[in-house]
Amino acid sequence: MRKNGSTPFKTVPVEEAVGMTLAHDMTEIIPGKSKGPAFKRGHKVTSGDLCRLMRMGKNNLYILDLDETQVHEDEAVFELASALAGPGVEFSADPKEGKLELRASYPGLYKVDVEALTQFNMFQDVMCGSIHTNTNVQRNQSLAATRAIPLVIERRHLDEATALAKAAYPILSVAAYKPLKIRLAIIGNEVYNGLIQDRFQDIVETKVRALGTDVLETCILPDDREIISGKIKEYLEKDTDLIITTGGMSVDPDDVTRESIEASGFDQVHYSSAVLPGAMFLLGYTRDTAIMGLPACGLYHKTTIFDLILPRLMAGERPGKRDLASLCHGGLCMNCTPCRFPECPFGKTA
Amino acid sequence: MEDFETLLAGAAEAHGHLCPGQVVGVRMAMLGCELIGLDNPSAMPQIKKLIVYVEMDRCAADALAHVTGVRLGRRSLKFIDNGIMAATFVNLETGKAFRIVSTETARDKAKELMPEITDSHRQQLEAYKVMDMADLFDVEEVRVDIPASDMPGPTRFKAVCTRCGIVVRDKKEVLMNNEILCRPCAHGSYFQPVKGSTHAEKRQHTL
Repeated sequence: MRKNGSTPFKTVPVEEAVGMTLAHDMTEIIPGKSKGPAFKRGHKVTSGDLCRLMRMGKNNLYILDLDETQVHEDEAVFELASALAGPGVEFSADPKEGKLELRASYPGLYKVDVEALTQFNMFQDVMCGSIHTNTNVQRNQSLAATRAIPLVIERRHLDEATALAKAAYPILSVAAYKPLKIRLAIIGNEVYNGLIQDRFQDIVETKVRALGTDVLETCILPDDREIISGKIKEYLEKDTDLIITTGGMSVDPDDVTRESIEASGFDQVHYSSAVLPGAMFLLGYTRDTAIMGLPACGLYHKTTIFDLILPRLMAGERPGKRDLASLCHGGLCMNCTPCRFPECPFGKTA
Repeated sequence: MEDFETLLAGAAEAHGHLCPGQVVGVRMAMLGCELIGLDNPSAMPQIKKLIVYVEMDRCAADALAHVTGVRLGRRSLKFIDNGIMAATFVNLETGKAFRIVSTETARDKAKELMPEITDSHRQQLEAYKVMDMADLFDVEEVRVDIPASDMPGPTRFKAVCTRCGIVVRDKKEVLMNNEILCRPCAHGSYFQPVKGSTHAEKRQHTL
């Protein structure tokens, strides 16, 4: 029996290899019929395998010389992925080169416990890299990848990392979108009086539909406090999860949407966000209903604060003042042509 | 693997009747197994090497299960409700996989092959037995990356629905409104509980 330097491989005569673990895939070629792995890396050699191995011309084998304190990377990565993957996150049964990709098993809002994931990556000989938290993801989308760094990892290092992941469960998850009952109010004298054609309805409906729900009702209102307030109260009395208003959010004397919303019975109203486009954004809540006031920038810019907050409301979250403020880091749209959102830094606050 | 006639007779018995779907299913299964290099899929050790995805719950699905030995309860038979007369055969060991789709043109071909038979059911049944594979099926080599949570073997993943308390296996739980839920609680289901017999109440009755 020969050791190969400091690697965990040994060269072993085939007849002495029973019970040992193969270090690599072993290909069998049957001329004119087939070519493929007869034995996979990690396979434990049995006495029944010996004849076949000899027929394949194998008199000596590279085997992994593992004791109970060591774990092969393919086995280790399965334990890492199992510990990291929460609801909505799945992974292949077949590690590739010691690595497993974690994917979304349904569409929704991808959530990462960034602090816990950072702690996980502090442990020796393990890693997991992820896309950003709060990303709207599609089914089967790649979310993260994990692996043990060496071919063979110490059991105690693996156990430390998986224990943390299990304690912080779920570190990686996808929050499913719940179809919301949404009602829309398009606000502005210019639209109400027919001076210009509204374009907001189409924009809002398209973005809402992309997340799997529909706008139930839309109205066009003038810049009038009583009328706006009255309509919002009417929407609140109906079974409404989310009210969206567009326009009237800036500081012009004609813009009264914000104060009309504030007068309509909302407990919490947050005005302004650390995002451009979308600084003059309003987000408010009653016990059962959320309201979003969209500034007119949404007519010009393809991607705005609306695209960052809508998925979070659809995922059942209630972002507050701190959430709106924390969007500052990554809150500036670079106005790329063409727009590559969500594959860009916009809204990617850790 | 047994010969075609024996497999067809067995499939008809298992399914309850002989029909064109049995013929299509048996031939599809034989072709699928051959393509992925399995000659005796329903016996050890090959029984552990095969997963079949069927895309319809029609007669042919039973024939596929009969020939290949795949079973829902073994997690070797996967039902994908596409309403398409198709199945994908995956060799877990080699990763080789082929999707086979039953052609619609085979119906017309059956008329050409067996013009002397006027009953369309019998015409298809007899014609599908002898029709060229290329006329009967479209075949495509594919890659199927099977999630770890869909693999055969012991249950590795369990979660508990925070709303109804039921245990959800194999990562089929859903995160919604910051709650881990079973699919019926998250999305609703095909059934509506009858008043007074919800899961929680039933549990109380039996305690």
